[in-house]
Amino acid sequence: MLKLSHVRKSYGQNVAVDDLSLDIEPGEVFGLLGPNGAGKTTTVNMAVGLLKPDAGSIELDGQGSPEEPRVRAKIGVAPQTLALYEDLSAIENLNFFGQLQGLHGPSLAKRVAWALEFVGLTDRGFDRVKTYSGGMKRRLNLAVAVVHDPPLLLLDEPTVSVDPQSRNAIFDNILALKAEGRTVVYTTHYMEEAQRLCDRVGVMDHGKLLALDAVERLIEKHGGKSVVTAQTAAGDERIETDDPVAELSRLQAGGKLEHFRVDRPDLEAVFLNLTGRTLRD
Amino acid sequence: MGELVALTKKDLKILLRDKTGFFFTFFFPLIYAIFFGTIFGSFGGGGSGTISIAVVDADKTKTSRAFTESLRGTPELDVVEMGRDEAVELVRRGGKVAYVALPKGFGVQRDGMLWGEPPTIEIGLDPSRQAETGMLKGLLTKCVFEGMQDLLTDPDKMHDQIEDWVASIKADENVDPMARTALLIFLPAVDTYFQSKPREKAVADGEAAGESGGAAGFQPIVFESTSVARQWDRPKNSYQISFPQGIIWGVLGCSAAFGISLVTERTKGTLVRLRMAPIGRWQILGGKAGACAVTTFALMCVLFTLGTVAFKLRPSSIGLLVLAMACVSLCFVGIMLLLSVLGKTEQAAGGIGWAVLMVMAMLGGGMVPAFFMPSWMQTVSHVSPVKWAILAMEGAIWRGFSPSEMVLPCVILVGVGAGCSVIGVRAFSWTEQS
Repeated sequence: MLKLSHVRKSYGQNVAVDDLSLDIEPGEVFGLLGPNGAGKTTTVNMAVGLLKPDAGSIELDGQGSPEEPRVRAKIGVAPQTLALYEDLSAIENLNFFGQLQGLHGPSLAKRVAWALEFVGLTDRGFDRVKTYSGGMKRRLNLAVAVVHDPPLLLLDEPTVSVDPQSRNAIFDNILALKAEGRTVVYTTHYMEEAQRLCDRVGVMDHGKLLALDAVERLIEKHGGKSVVTAQTAAGDERIETDDPVAELSRLQAGGKLEHFRVDRPDLEAVFLNLTGRTLRD
Repeated sequence: MGELVALTKKDLKILLRDKTGFFFTFFFPLIYAIFFGTIFGSFGGGGSGTISIAVVDADKTKTSRAFTESLRGTPELDVVEMGRDEAVELVRRGGKVAYVALPKGFGVQRDGMLWGEPPTIEIGLDPSRQAETGMLKGLLTKCVFEGMQDLLTDPDKMHDQIEDWVASIKADENVDPMARTALLIFLPAVDTYFQSKPREKAVADGEAAGESGGAAGFQPIVFESTSVARQWDRPKNSYQISFPQGIIWGVLGCSAAFGISLVTERTKGTLVRLRMAPIGRWQILGGKAGACAVTTFALMCVLFTLGTVAFKLRPSSIGLLVLAMACVSLCFVGIMLLLSVLGKTEQAAGGIGWAVLMVMAMLGGGMVPAFFMPSWMQTVSHVSPVKWAILAMEGAIWRGFSPSEMVLPCVILVGVGAGCSVIGVRAFSWTEQS
């Protein structure tokens, strides 16, 4: 669906993206993770045609570079910043951005109605956006991205600063879009979101792709060992192990297990193992 | 094209919903124009371009009535006849610039001015309006001499007047004997001379005797009229000055507001969405420019229409006024594009933008009319597009510019607009790359 081949981009001496290659499959939810300054935003901006790479190529759906307007029309973007006109209503925002995407007349009205229904804002469609809560604005931000029915969606931190209800609604929206066969590129700092939603995840740092795989395989390869914390008559024990079941059986057989907890490695562990624990600016 | 219209409509909709922005775009310029028009009007005789006076005719003779009628016929004067006390009170309260009192005996004095004391006219002036005093005295003198000219150019009137004079001289015992003898010889001789002049029929029916080409008679000077371009060198009323100035403030406000809104598009992230749409950058900027142009043009149309209907603006040429408005719009749309790249945040763009616009307004006569400025500053004002914008509008309103005279301000306005647009568009592209 979206193919980046040996893409490079630098700002002066600072190399933001270095020889990055990615092939995002149609219909998958792809998570792009990385600490601040890893090169995610630059990668995304190049992927949607907002930035021209210094080297390498980007191709969308075999139809050319997203720098071309007709190719770019196949992408829907929900930027991290709420890119909405607050003095307009939700319907006016959707109408406006739909028109820019070439929709007119009944097809525009139909898509606007669908997008509002999709994010659960039909009842508030005529209200100005400035009267919306943060969660409603986030949902409208997503609706604007999908109003022109694009096959590829780019969602940049779509759940920042929203309440759990709105976050769940957005998750449901994303899964629904996936079920319809759309491709979603998802950037986030919330590892549990990526783990829940993404088929594959790429971890970037310093402009390079450090790892790329399905979530379970990434955890297997880079997550490290499970940690068994057990309370026994002899005291508390903390055991790092590849086989927690076997370890628990051993403790049980010794007859001294009173309480236990197993911490399995997750995507956050993968992330920290790959990118380190040093604070980033 | 549809996308361009959508972009323009979106910005207009946002402007109309922003109550503060709407006030400063449409109502502030109107308030400015009315406020300063009224203030300037108090210097110019009631805001109508005439000096408003009260006439007190205590003489009530044929001569005094004729003089009063002569004053009424003077276009620069707005004359109301009333009693002395009422006239004094009205001037004291500022309702009239002055009163002109024709005392008892004015007619006799006027008729006997060849041998007696000259007639006296009392003028009561509002001391705060000295500017009009000189003009009023000049107009009164003109009316006195118009009566003389009437006699000199109409032999029949002259004949009647000489008969009256001769009768008066004979009846008046106070006339110096030497003067009496001389006048009784001189006046009949003058009458004989005028009666001996061949009479010419008026060239056209309705042409008044005494005018050039009418009845023969003595004329101190003959005027030959040659038609030249209209040269209205002063406004008919103060609103003709204050409305272009008020409008300029509205246009400056639009320019700043749309320039800042382009920065807001960037900081709020909507520019990313616009750029993600399958449209060119020229359409994004064109939409903003279109909205700015429509707003400034609509602002000018609304204010000029209001001014014409309610404040006697009376443009000398509607066509040239529309041309001036179009050029002003183009100029300030270009300036808007330039302002939008002066700062990376709304605060920076707003601060720098207004600083630039204020200097333009100060130099260009947006705050104080250019003709009140010292000559060196009037020269400096040429660098400000505000000066040329006001000149173009005034040219079509009261300066009576011909199309060829409009070329210079219009070319300068369009040139400034085009130059600023090129710089703005180039700089805008560059900031997007970084």
